[in-house]
Amino acid sequence: MLNGKYGEDAAIAIDYIIQLGEAFDAKKLVDIVYCHYPAEMSIYKGNVEDGCDFAATGAKIRISTTSSTLAVDVEKPGITEAPQALIDLQQKVVDAHRSMGILETYTCTPQHLGFIPPFGSYTALVESSAIIYYNSVLGVRTNRGGLLTRYSAVCGKYPLMGYLLDDNRKGTHLFNVNIADEKMQTSDAWSALGFHIGKIAGSEVPVINGIKTFNQEFLLSFGATLATSGSVTLFHLIGVTPEAPSLQQAFQGAKPKETHVVEWTDLEKVYQEQNTLKQGDPVDFVTLGCPHYTLPQLQLTAEKLKGKKIAEGVRFWICTNRMTRKQAEYSGFVKTIEQSGAKVVADTCPVESHMRQSTCREFGLEVPNIKAMVCNSGKMLRYVGDLIGCKVALTDFDACIASAISGKLVQKLNISK
Amino acid sequence: MTSFHVKKVVRGIVEAQLLVNPGSFSFLGDIDLENAEIIVRTSPNRGTSIAGKILVIEDSKGSSGGALVLQTLKKIGKAPAAIVTVKAADFNLTEAAILYAVPYASHLNINDFRALENGKTACLDLERNLLILRD
Repeated sequence: MLNGKYGEDAAIAIDYIIQLGEAFDAKKLVDIVYCHYPAEMSIYKGNVEDGCDFAATGAKIRISTTSSTLAVDVEKPGITEAPQALIDLQQKVVDAHRSMGILETYTCTPQHLGFIPPFGSYTALVESSAIIYYNSVLGVRTNRGGLLTRYSAVCGKYPLMGYLLDDNRKGTHLFNVNIADEKMQTSDAWSALGFHIGKIAGSEVPVINGIKTFNQEFLLSFGATLATSGSVTLFHLIGVTPEAPSLQQAFQGAKPKETHVVEWTDLEKVYQEQNTLKQGDPVDFVTLGCPHYTLPQLQLTAEKLKGKKIAEGVRFWICTNRMTRKQAEYSGFVKTIEQSGAKVVADTCPVESHMRQSTCREFGLEVPNIKAMVCNSGKMLRYVGDLIGCKVALTDFDACIASAISGKLVQKLNISK
Repeated sequence: MTSFHVKKVVRGIVEAQLLVNPGSFSFLGDIDLENAEIIVRTSPNRGTSIAGKILVIEDSKGSSGGALVLQTLKKIGKAPAAIVTVKAADFNLTEAAILYAVPYASHLNINDFRALENGKTACLDLERNLLILRD
Protein backbone atom coordinates (compact mmCIF):
# COMPACT_ATOMS: atom_id res chain seq x y z
CA MET A 1 0.00 0.00 0.00
CA LEU A 2 2.90 2.32 0.83
CA ASN A 3 4.21 2.08 -2.76
CA GLY A 4 1.00 3.49 -4.23
CA LYS A 5 -0.40 0.25 -5.63
CA TYR A 6 -3.77 1.00 -3.98
CA GLY A 7 -3.74 4.68 -4.90
CA GLU A 8 -1.83 7.74 -3.79
CA ASP A 9 -4.34 8.58 -1.05
CA ALA A 10 -3.86 5.16 0.58
CA ALA A 11 -0.07 5.50 0.33
CA ILE A 12 -0.09 8.89 2.09
CA ALA A 13 -2.56 7.65 4.69
CA ILE A 14 -0.65 4.51 5.59
CA ASP A 15 2.59 6.50 5.93
CA TYR A 16 0.92 8.58 8.66
CA ILE A 17 -0.49 5.48 10.36
CA ILE A 18 2.94 3.78 10.29
CA GLN A 19 4.44 6.88 11.92
CA LEU A 20 1.75 6.73 14.60
CA GLY A 21 2.60 3.09 15.26
CA GLU A 22 6.31 3.87 15.45
CA ALA A 23 5.71 6.71 17.91
CA PHE A 24 4.13 4.28 20.36
CA ASP A 25 6.24 1.19 19.57
CA ALA A 26 3.38 -0.79 17.98
CA LYS A 27 4.53 -4.17 16.62
CA LYS A 28 2.29 -4.14 13.53
CA LEU A 29 -0.72 -2.63 11.81
CA VAL A 30 -4.12 -4.35 11.86
CA ASP A 31 -7.19 -4.10 9.63
CA ILE A 32 -9.99 -2.01 11.11
CA VAL A 33 -13.65 -2.52 10.23
CA TYR A 34 -15.20 0.80 11.17
CA CYS A 35 -14.23 4.43 11.63
CA HIS A 36 -16.00 7.40 13.27
CA TYR A 37 -14.53 10.54 11.81
CA PRO A 38 -14.20 14.03 13.38
CA ALA A 39 -16.42 16.19 11.16
CA GLU A 40 -14.80 19.54 10.50
CA MET A 41 -16.59 22.25 12.45
CA SER A 42 -17.21 25.84 11.35
CA ILE A 43 -16.53 27.19 14.85
CA TYR A 44 -12.83 26.25 14.50
CA LYS A 45 -10.89 28.54 12.15
CA GLY A 46 -9.65 26.75 9.04
CA ASN A 47 -11.17 23.43 10.08
CA VAL A 48 -13.83 23.23 7.34
CA GLU A 49 -11.34 24.41 4.69
CA ASP A 50 -8.96 21.67 5.84
CA GLY A 51 -11.64 19.01 5.34
CA CYS A 52 -12.61 20.38 1.94
CA ASP A 53 -8.95 20.53 0.82
CA PHE A 54 -8.52 16.93 1.88
CA ALA A 55 -11.61 15.84 -0.08
CA ALA A 56 -10.33 17.81 -3.10
CA THR A 57 -7.23 15.60 -3.21
CA GLY A 58 -9.60 12.83 -4.31
CA ALA A 59 -9.09 10.80 -1.13
CA LYS A 60 -11.66 8.03 -0.61
CA ILE A 61 -12.43 6.06 2.51
CA ARG A 62 -12.04 2.28 2.27
CA ILE A 63 -14.06 1.09 5.27
CA SER A 64 -17.47 1.97 6.72
CA THR A 65 -17.05 5.50 8.12
CA THR A 66 -19.47 7.81 9.93
CA SER A 67 -18.99 11.43 10.98
CA SER A 68 -19.19 13.17 14.33
CA THR A 69 -21.13 16.31 15.31
CA LEU A 70 -21.18 19.69 13.54
CA ALA A 71 -21.57 23.25 14.83
CA VAL A 72 -24.91 23.75 13.07
CA ASP A 73 -28.09 21.74 12.44
CA VAL A 74 -27.34 21.53 8.72
CA GLU A 75 -30.61 19.77 7.88
CA LYS A 76 -32.76 22.47 9.53
CA PRO A 77 -30.34 25.42 9.65
CA GLY A 78 -32.91 27.92 10.90
CA ILE A 79 -33.71 25.95 14.03
CA THR A 80 -30.63 26.95 16.06
CA GLU A 81 -30.41 30.68 15.30
CA ALA A 82 -26.82 30.22 14.11
CA PRO A 83 -25.25 33.10 12.12
CA GLN A 84 -25.74 32.61 8.36
CA ALA A 85 -21.97 32.72 7.69
CA LEU A 86 -21.47 29.80 10.07
CA ILE A 87 -24.27 27.84 8.38
CA ASP A 88 -22.90 28.48 4.88
CA LEU A 89 -19.41 27.42 5.92
CA GLN A 90 -20.64 24.33 7.75
CA GLN A 91 -22.70 23.15 4.76
CA LYS A 92 -19.52 22.85 2.70
CA VAL A 93 -18.38 19.78 4.65
CA VAL A 94 -21.45 17.83 3.58
CA ASP A 95 -20.30 17.73 -0.06
CA ALA A 96 -16.73 17.05 1.04
CA HIS A 97 -17.84 14.05 3.09
CA ARG A 98 -20.06 12.72 0.32
CA SER A 99 -17.22 12.88 -2.20
CA MET A 100 -14.97 10.93 0.18
CA GLY A 101 -17.66 8.35 0.95
CA ILE A 102 -18.17 9.33 4.59
CA LEU A 103 -21.71 8.72 5.81
CA GLU A 104 -23.33 11.92 7.04
CA THR A 105 -24.46 10.83 10.50
CA TYR A 106 -23.21 13.92 12.39
CA THR A 107 -23.66 12.40 15.80
CA CYS A 108 -21.83 11.52 19.01
CA THR A 109 -23.76 8.21 19.25
CA PRO A 110 -23.28 6.25 16.00
CA GLN A 111 -23.89 3.01 17.93
CA HIS A 112 -27.58 3.93 18.10
CA LEU A 113 -27.72 4.09 14.30
CA GLY A 114 -26.67 0.50 13.82
CA PHE A 115 -22.91 0.84 13.46
CA ILE A 116 -22.12 -2.07 15.73
CA PRO A 117 -19.20 -4.25 14.63
CA PRO A 118 -18.84 -7.65 16.31
CA PHE A 119 -17.32 -8.05 19.78
CA GLY A 120 -13.52 -7.79 19.70
CA SER A 121 -13.37 -5.88 16.37
CA TYR A 122 -10.67 -3.29 15.82
CA THR A 123 -11.90 0.21 14.97
CA ALA A 124 -10.67 3.83 14.99
CA LEU A 125 -13.08 6.29 16.56
CA VAL A 126 -13.25 9.86 17.78
CA GLU A 127 -15.74 11.31 20.32
CA SER A 128 -15.02 10.28 23.89
CA SER A 129 -18.60 9.27 24.76
CA ALA A 130 -18.83 6.98 21.73
CA ILE A 131 -15.34 5.56 22.31
CA ILE A 132 -16.05 4.54 25.89
CA TYR A 133 -19.41 2.96 24.90
CA TYR A 134 -17.87 0.90 22.08
CA ASN A 135 -14.95 -0.23 24.24
CA SER A 136 -16.89 -0.98 27.40
CA VAL A 137 -20.48 -1.91 26.53
CA LEU A 138 -19.90 -3.45 23.08
CA GLY A 139 -16.36 -4.78 23.56
CA VAL A 140 -15.36 -3.17 20.23
CA ARG A 141 -11.74 -2.03 20.51
CA THR A 142 -10.62 1.55 19.88
CA ASN A 143 -8.23 4.20 21.18
CA ARG A 144 -9.10 7.89 21.52
CA GLY A 145 -8.65 9.01 17.94
CA GLY A 146 -7.50 12.45 16.86
CA LEU A 147 -6.51 14.23 13.66
CA LEU A 148 -5.17 11.07 12.00
CA THR A 149 -8.49 9.23 12.24
CA ARG A 150 -9.38 10.19 8.66
CA TYR A 151 -6.21 8.50 7.41
CA SER A 152 -7.22 5.30 9.20
CA ALA A 153 -10.48 5.49 7.25
CA VAL A 154 -8.59 5.96 3.98
CA CYS A 155 -6.14 3.06 4.43
CA GLY A 156 -8.29 0.83 6.65
CA LYS A 157 -5.40 0.22 9.07
CA TYR A 158 -4.43 1.14 12.62
CA PRO A 159 -1.38 0.30 14.78
CA LEU A 160 -1.89 -2.59 17.19
CA MET A 161 -1.48 -0.61 20.41
CA GLY A 162 -3.27 0.90 23.39
CA TYR A 163 -6.78 -0.43 24.02
CA LEU A 164 -6.54 -2.79 21.06
CA LEU A 165 -4.27 -4.97 23.21
CA ASP A 166 -5.67 -7.40 25.84
CA ASP A 167 -3.16 -6.30 28.44
CA ASN A 168 -4.31 -2.67 28.40
CA ARG A 169 -7.96 -3.72 28.80
CA LYS A 170 -7.60 -5.17 32.26
CA GLY A 171 -9.18 -3.30 35.16
CA THR A 172 -6.93 -1.19 37.39
CA HIS A 173 -9.19 0.43 40.02
CA LEU A 174 -12.08 -1.24 41.87
CA PHE A 175 -15.15 0.80 42.85
CA ASN A 176 -17.60 -0.96 45.19
CA VAL A 177 -20.88 0.92 44.84
CA ASN A 178 -23.03 0.89 47.96
CA ILE A 179 -26.16 2.61 46.62
CA ALA A 180 -29.72 1.28 46.50
CA ASP A 181 -30.95 0.39 43.00
CA GLU A 182 -34.00 2.65 43.29
CA LYS A 183 -31.74 5.71 43.51
CA MET A 184 -30.06 4.77 40.23
CA GLN A 185 -33.12 4.80 37.96
CA THR A 186 -32.33 8.04 36.09
CA SER A 187 -29.64 9.10 33.58
CA ASP A 188 -28.46 11.97 35.77
CA ALA A 189 -27.77 9.61 38.69
CA TRP A 190 -25.56 7.48 36.42
CA SER A 191 -23.96 10.72 35.20
CA ALA A 192 -23.18 11.71 38.79
CA LEU A 193 -21.70 8.25 39.43
CA GLY A 194 -19.54 8.65 36.32
CA PHE A 195 -18.46 12.13 37.41
CA HIS A 196 -17.34 10.88 40.82
CA ILE A 197 -15.53 7.75 39.57
CA GLY A 198 -13.93 9.53 36.59
CA LYS A 199 -12.28 12.08 38.87
CA ILE A 200 -10.58 9.29 40.84
CA ALA A 201 -9.86 6.94 37.93
CA GLY A 202 -8.23 9.57 35.66
CA SER A 203 -6.95 7.70 32.60
CA GLU A 204 -7.05 4.24 34.24
CA VAL A 205 -9.58 1.41 33.77
CA PRO A 206 -12.24 1.46 36.53
CA VAL A 207 -14.16 -1.69 37.47
CA ILE A 208 -17.57 -1.06 39.00
CA ASN A 209 -19.09 -3.65 41.30
CA GLY A 210 -22.25 -3.82 43.42
CA ILE A 211 -24.63 -2.13 41.01
CA LYS A 212 -26.07 -3.15 37.64
CA THR A 213 -28.08 -1.74 34.79
CA PHE A 214 -28.91 -3.05 31.34
CA ASN A 215 -30.46 0.26 30.30
CA GLN A 216 -28.46 1.47 27.27
CA GLU A 217 -29.21 5.14 27.97
CA PHE A 218 -27.93 4.89 31.56
CA LEU A 219 -24.74 3.20 30.33
CA LEU A 220 -24.36 5.92 27.72
CA SER A 221 -24.68 8.73 30.31
CA PHE A 222 -22.37 6.94 32.71
CA GLY A 223 -19.62 6.43 30.12
CA ALA A 224 -19.89 9.94 28.68
CA THR A 225 -19.35 11.46 32.11
CA LEU A 226 -16.51 9.08 33.07
CA ALA A 227 -14.76 10.28 29.91
CA THR A 228 -15.22 13.96 30.80
CA SER A 229 -14.47 14.19 34.53
CA GLY A 230 -11.54 11.85 33.89
CA SER A 231 -10.16 10.64 30.59
CA VAL A 232 -11.50 7.12 31.00
CA THR A 233 -11.56 5.16 27.72
CA LEU A 234 -12.78 1.79 29.03
CA PHE A 235 -14.76 0.68 32.09
CA HIS A 236 -16.00 -2.69 33.27
CA LEU A 237 -19.37 -3.10 35.03
CA ILE A 238 -19.43 -6.49 36.72
CA GLY A 239 -22.19 -8.75 35.44
CA VAL A 240 -23.11 -6.34 32.64
CA THR A 241 -20.27 -5.42 30.27
CA PRO A 242 -18.93 -8.27 28.13
CA GLU A 243 -15.35 -8.40 29.40
CA ALA A 244 -16.45 -8.43 33.05
CA PRO A 245 -18.59 -11.48 33.88
CA SER A 246 -16.62 -11.65 37.15
CA LEU A 247 -14.12 -9.53 39.10
CA GLN A 248 -11.45 -12.08 38.32
CA GLN A 249 -12.04 -11.69 34.58
CA ALA A 250 -12.32 -7.89 34.71
CA PHE A 251 -8.90 -7.65 36.35
CA GLN A 252 -7.50 -10.54 34.24
CA GLY A 253 -6.44 -12.22 37.48
CA ALA A 254 -4.47 -9.20 38.74
CA LYS A 255 -5.11 -7.27 41.96
CA PRO A 256 -6.67 -3.78 41.82
CA LYS A 257 -4.17 -0.93 42.22
CA GLU A 258 -6.75 0.89 44.35
CA THR A 259 -10.12 0.04 45.89
CA HIS A 260 -12.79 2.65 46.66
CA VAL A 261 -16.29 2.53 48.16
CA VAL A 262 -18.92 4.80 46.59
CA GLU A 263 -21.89 6.01 48.67
CA TRP A 264 -24.95 8.06 47.72
CA THR A 265 -23.40 11.02 49.58
CA ASP A 266 -20.55 11.01 47.01
CA LEU A 267 -23.12 11.51 44.25
CA GLU A 268 -24.95 14.20 46.23
CA LYS A 269 -21.63 16.05 46.45
CA VAL A 270 -21.42 16.07 42.64
CA TYR A 271 -24.79 17.87 42.45
CA GLN A 272 -23.92 20.22 45.32
CA GLU A 273 -20.43 21.13 44.10
CA GLN A 274 -21.11 21.33 40.36
CA ASN A 275 -24.53 23.01 40.34
CA THR A 276 -24.22 26.78 40.21
CA LEU A 277 -28.01 27.34 40.37
CA LYS A 278 -30.37 27.02 43.31
CA GLN A 279 -33.94 25.71 43.50
CA GLY A 280 -36.26 28.39 42.07
CA ASP A 281 -33.55 30.38 40.22
CA PRO A 282 -34.71 31.62 36.79
CA VAL A 283 -33.49 29.52 33.83
CA ASP A 284 -33.42 30.44 30.14
CA PHE A 285 -32.18 27.19 28.60
CA VAL A 286 -32.94 23.49 29.08
CA THR A 287 -30.97 20.72 27.34
CA LEU A 288 -31.81 17.05 26.95
CA GLY A 289 -29.83 14.80 24.63
CA CYS A 290 -26.22 14.85 25.79
CA PRO A 291 -25.13 12.42 24.42
CA HIS A 292 -27.62 12.52 21.53
CA TYR A 293 -31.05 11.20 22.46
CA THR A 294 -32.34 7.82 21.31
CA LEU A 295 -35.78 7.21 19.79
CA PRO A 296 -37.35 5.86 23.02
CA GLN A 297 -36.06 8.93 24.87
CA LEU A 298 -37.71 11.21 22.29
CA GLN A 299 -40.88 9.16 22.66
CA LEU A 300 -40.87 9.71 26.42
CA THR A 301 -40.12 13.43 25.99
CA ALA A 302 -43.09 13.78 23.64
CA GLU A 303 -45.36 12.01 26.14
CA LYS A 304 -44.28 14.35 28.94
CA LEU A 305 -44.62 17.51 26.83
CA LYS A 306 -47.99 16.62 25.30
CA GLY A 307 -50.40 19.51 25.84
CA LYS A 308 -47.82 21.51 27.82
CA LYS A 309 -46.21 24.90 27.01
CA ILE A 310 -42.61 25.94 27.64
CA ALA A 311 -42.25 29.16 29.68
CA GLU A 312 -41.75 32.46 27.85
CA GLY A 313 -38.05 33.22 27.36
CA VAL A 314 -36.91 29.60 27.77
CA ARG A 315 -35.13 27.81 24.92
CA PHE A 316 -35.50 24.02 25.23
CA TRP A 317 -33.28 21.89 22.96
CA ILE A 318 -33.65 18.14 22.72
CA CYS A 319 -30.57 17.05 20.78
CA THR A 320 -30.35 13.94 18.61
CA ASN A 321 -29.08 12.88 15.20
CA ARG A 322 -30.91 13.44 11.92
CA MET A 323 -31.94 9.80 11.38
CA THR A 324 -33.48 9.51 14.82
CA ARG A 325 -35.25 12.83 14.26
CA LYS A 326 -36.64 11.49 10.96
CA GLN A 327 -37.98 8.41 12.76
CA ALA A 328 -39.41 10.64 15.47
CA GLU A 329 -41.11 12.71 12.77
CA TYR A 330 -42.78 9.57 11.33
CA SER A 331 -44.04 8.69 14.79
CA GLY A 332 -45.37 12.18 15.50
CA PHE A 333 -43.00 12.80 18.44
CA VAL A 334 -41.33 15.84 16.86
CA LYS A 335 -44.68 17.55 16.21
CA THR A 336 -45.82 17.02 19.80
CA ILE A 337 -42.52 18.34 21.15
CA GLU A 338 -42.57 21.39 18.85
CA GLN A 339 -46.16 22.22 19.87
CA SER A 340 -44.87 22.76 23.39
CA GLY A 341 -42.30 25.29 22.14
CA ALA A 342 -39.32 22.94 22.53
CA LYS A 343 -37.06 22.04 19.59
CA VAL A 344 -35.67 18.73 18.37
CA VAL A 345 -32.19 19.72 17.19
CA ALA A 346 -30.00 17.41 15.08
CA ASP A 347 -26.32 17.32 14.04
CA THR A 348 -25.11 19.51 16.94
CA CYS A 349 -25.56 20.43 20.63
CA PRO A 350 -25.24 23.64 22.72
CA VAL A 351 -21.50 23.34 23.49
CA GLU A 352 -20.58 22.51 19.88
CA SER A 353 -22.67 25.38 18.50
CA HIS A 354 -22.44 29.12 17.85
CA MET A 355 -23.32 29.68 21.53
CA ARG A 356 -19.68 29.19 22.54
CA GLN A 357 -18.33 32.42 24.01
CA SER A 358 -15.53 32.76 21.44
CA THR A 359 -17.96 32.32 18.52
CA CYS A 360 -20.51 34.73 20.02
CA ARG A 361 -17.80 37.40 20.30
CA GLU A 362 -16.74 36.83 16.71
CA PHE A 363 -20.29 37.28 15.40
CA GLY A 364 -21.34 40.05 17.77
CA LEU A 365 -23.91 37.88 19.57
CA GLU A 366 -24.79 38.33 23.22
CA VAL A 367 -22.16 36.88 25.61
CA PRO A 368 -22.95 34.68 27.38
CA ASN A 369 -25.65 33.50 25.01
CA ILE A 370 -27.25 31.51 27.82
CA LYS A 371 -27.59 32.78 31.41
CA ALA A 372 -28.73 29.65 33.24
CA MET A 373 -29.01 26.12 31.84
CA VAL A 374 -30.69 23.03 33.27
CA CYS A 375 -29.62 19.60 31.97
CA ASN A 376 -29.58 15.93 32.94
CA SER A 377 -26.05 15.20 31.69
CA GLY A 378 -22.79 15.29 33.64
CA LYS A 379 -20.91 15.85 30.40
CA MET A 380 -22.95 18.96 29.54
CA LEU A 381 -22.60 20.12 33.16
CA ARG A 382 -18.81 19.91 32.90
CA TYR A 383 -18.49 21.92 29.66
CA VAL A 384 -21.13 24.67 29.57
CA GLY A 385 -19.65 26.73 32.39
CA ASP A 386 -16.33 27.26 30.58
CA LEU A 387 -17.39 27.11 26.95
CA ILE A 388 -20.67 29.03 27.09
CA GLY A 389 -20.04 30.91 30.34
CA CYS A 390 -23.43 30.26 31.92
CA LYS A 391 -24.65 28.94 35.25
CA VAL A 392 -25.80 25.32 35.15
CA ALA A 393 -27.66 22.69 37.13
CA LEU A 394 -27.77 18.90 36.83
CA THR A 395 -31.12 17.37 37.59
CA ASP A 396 -33.31 14.50 36.40
CA PHE A 397 -35.42 14.23 33.25
CA ASP A 398 -38.74 15.02 34.98
CA ALA A 399 -37.22 18.06 36.68
CA CYS A 400 -35.77 19.28 33.36
CA ILE A 401 -39.26 19.21 31.85
CA ALA A 402 -40.73 20.92 34.93
CA SER A 403 -37.99 23.59 34.81
CA ALA A 404 -38.72 24.30 31.13
CA ILE A 405 -42.43 24.70 31.86
CA SER A 406 -41.99 26.91 34.94
CA GLY A 407 -38.91 28.86 33.77
CA LYS A 408 -37.32 28.18 37.16
CA LEU A 409 -34.97 25.46 38.38
CA VAL A 410 -36.89 22.51 39.78
CA GLN A 411 -34.33 20.34 41.56
CA LYS A 412 -34.82 16.58 41.67
CA LEU A 413 -36.56 15.22 44.70
CA ASN A 414 -34.06 12.82 46.26
CA ILE A 415 -31.14 15.22 46.61
CA SER A 416 -30.80 16.74 50.07
CA LYS A 417 -30.65 20.54 49.88
CA MET B 1 29.86 19.45 21.69
CA THR B 2 27.26 18.36 24.25
CA SER B 3 24.47 16.02 23.25
CA PHE B 4 21.55 14.44 25.08
CA HIS B 5 19.63 11.24 24.38
CA VAL B 6 15.94 11.46 23.47
CA LYS B 7 13.39 9.03 22.00
CA LYS B 8 11.95 9.74 18.55
CA VAL B 9 8.18 10.19 18.50
CA VAL B 10 7.82 11.98 15.15
CA ARG B 11 10.70 11.94 12.65
CA GLY B 12 12.80 14.89 11.52
CA ILE B 13 16.07 16.80 11.85
CA VAL B 14 15.92 20.48 12.75
CA GLU B 15 18.25 23.19 14.03
CA ALA B 16 16.79 26.09 16.01
CA GLN B 17 16.90 28.06 19.25
CA LEU B 18 15.81 26.31 22.42
CA LEU B 19 12.81 27.54 24.41
CA VAL B 20 12.91 25.69 27.72
CA ASN B 21 9.69 25.89 29.70
CA PRO B 22 9.54 24.18 33.10
CA GLY B 23 6.48 22.28 34.30
CA SER B 24 3.51 20.87 32.46
CA PHE B 25 2.44 22.67 29.31
CA SER B 26 -0.95 22.83 27.63
CA PHE B 27 -1.13 23.82 23.97
CA LEU B 28 -4.79 24.58 24.62
CA GLY B 29 -4.89 27.66 26.83
CA ASP B 30 -1.19 28.39 27.40
CA ILE B 31 -0.50 29.96 23.97
CA ASP B 32 -1.90 32.98 22.14
CA LEU B 33 -3.38 31.72 18.88
CA GLU B 34 -2.37 34.79 16.83
CA ASN B 35 1.27 35.40 17.75
CA ALA B 36 2.20 32.03 19.36
CA GLU B 37 3.31 33.79 22.57
CA ILE B 38 3.17 31.93 25.84
CA ILE B 39 0.37 33.60 27.80
CA VAL B 40 0.00 31.41 30.89
CA ARG B 41 0.76 33.44 34.01
CA THR B 42 2.78 30.70 35.70
CA SER B 43 5.39 30.50 32.90
CA PRO B 44 8.76 32.30 33.25
CA ASN B 45 8.64 32.61 29.43
CA ARG B 46 5.38 34.56 29.39
CA GLY B 47 5.39 36.86 26.36
CA THR B 48 7.92 34.75 24.42
CA SER B 49 6.79 33.23 21.12
CA ILE B 50 7.27 29.51 20.51
CA ALA B 51 7.26 30.05 16.72
CA GLY B 52 10.31 28.48 15.07
CA LYS B 53 11.80 27.33 18.41
CA ILE B 54 12.59 23.90 19.72
CA LEU B 55 10.04 23.90 22.54
CA VAL B 56 11.38 21.84 25.46
CA ILE B 57 8.83 20.99 28.16
CA GLU B 58 8.54 18.49 30.96
CA ASP B 59 5.09 17.24 30.04
CA SER B 60 2.18 18.19 27.81
CA LYS B 61 -1.30 18.09 29.28
CA GLY B 62 -3.57 15.72 27.43
CA SER B 63 -6.42 17.84 26.09
CA SER B 64 -7.38 16.82 22.58
CA GLY B 65 -7.85 20.53 21.83
CA GLY B 66 -4.05 20.84 21.89
CA ALA B 67 -3.93 19.12 18.50
CA LEU B 68 -6.18 21.80 17.00
CA VAL B 69 -3.93 24.50 18.46
CA LEU B 70 -0.87 22.99 16.79
CA GLN B 71 -2.91 22.79 13.57
CA THR B 72 -3.80 26.49 13.82
CA LEU B 73 -0.18 27.53 14.57
CA LYS B 74 1.04 25.56 11.59
CA LYS B 75 -1.50 27.21 9.30
CA ILE B 76 -0.43 30.72 10.34
CA GLY B 77 3.26 29.83 10.09
CA LYS B 78 3.87 30.09 13.84
CA ALA B 79 4.37 26.48 14.84
CA PRO B 80 7.38 25.47 16.93
CA ALA B 81 10.29 23.97 14.95
CA ALA B 82 10.14 20.88 17.17
CA ILE B 83 8.82 19.62 20.51
CA VAL B 84 10.87 17.80 23.16
CA THR B 85 9.37 16.42 26.38
CA VAL B 86 10.72 14.73 29.49
CA LYS B 87 7.65 12.53 29.94
CA ALA B 88 6.14 10.11 27.42
CA ALA B 89 4.47 11.42 24.25
CA ASP B 90 0.95 12.80 24.33
CA PHE B 91 -1.35 10.82 22.05
CA ASN B 92 -3.38 13.60 20.45
CA LEU B 93 -0.42 15.94 20.12
CA THR B 94 1.50 13.15 18.40
CA GLU B 95 -1.24 12.80 15.77
CA ALA B 96 -1.06 16.54 15.04
CA ALA B 97 2.76 16.52 14.97
CA ILE B 98 2.77 13.66 12.43
CA LEU B 99 0.18 15.37 10.25
CA TYR B 100 1.98 18.72 10.26
CA ALA B 101 5.51 17.29 10.22
CA VAL B 102 6.67 18.79 13.52
CA PRO B 103 9.60 16.70 14.84
CA TYR B 104 8.73 15.46 18.32
CA ALA B 105 10.93 13.67 20.88
CA SER B 106 10.20 12.32 24.36
CA HIS B 107 12.14 10.89 27.32
CA LEU B 108 14.69 13.67 27.73
CA ASN B 109 16.39 13.02 31.09
CA ILE B 110 15.14 15.48 33.74
CA ASN B 111 18.72 16.43 34.72
CA ASP B 112 19.53 17.12 31.07
CA PHE B 113 16.33 19.20 30.91
CA ARG B 114 17.54 21.30 33.86
CA ALA B 115 20.95 21.79 32.21
CA LEU B 116 19.45 23.32 29.04
CA GLU B 117 19.56 27.09 28.56
CA ASN B 118 17.00 29.24 26.83
CA GLY B 119 18.08 30.84 23.58
CA LYS B 120 20.97 28.45 22.83
CA THR B 121 20.99 26.91 19.38
CA ALA B 122 20.59 23.14 19.17
CA CYS B 123 20.06 20.44 16.60
CA LEU B 124 17.37 17.84 17.19
CA ASP B 125 18.43 14.82 15.16
CA LEU B 126 15.80 12.09 15.35
CA GLU B 127 17.62 9.76 13.03
CA ARG B 128 20.18 9.46 15.81
CA ASN B 129 17.82 10.23 18.73
CA LEU B 130 19.99 13.12 19.92
CA LEU B 131 19.54 16.71 21.00
CA ILE B 132 22.90 18.31 20.17
CA LEU B 133 23.93 21.72 21.56
CA ARG B 134 25.79 24.04 19.18
CA ASP B 135 28.73 26.24 20.38
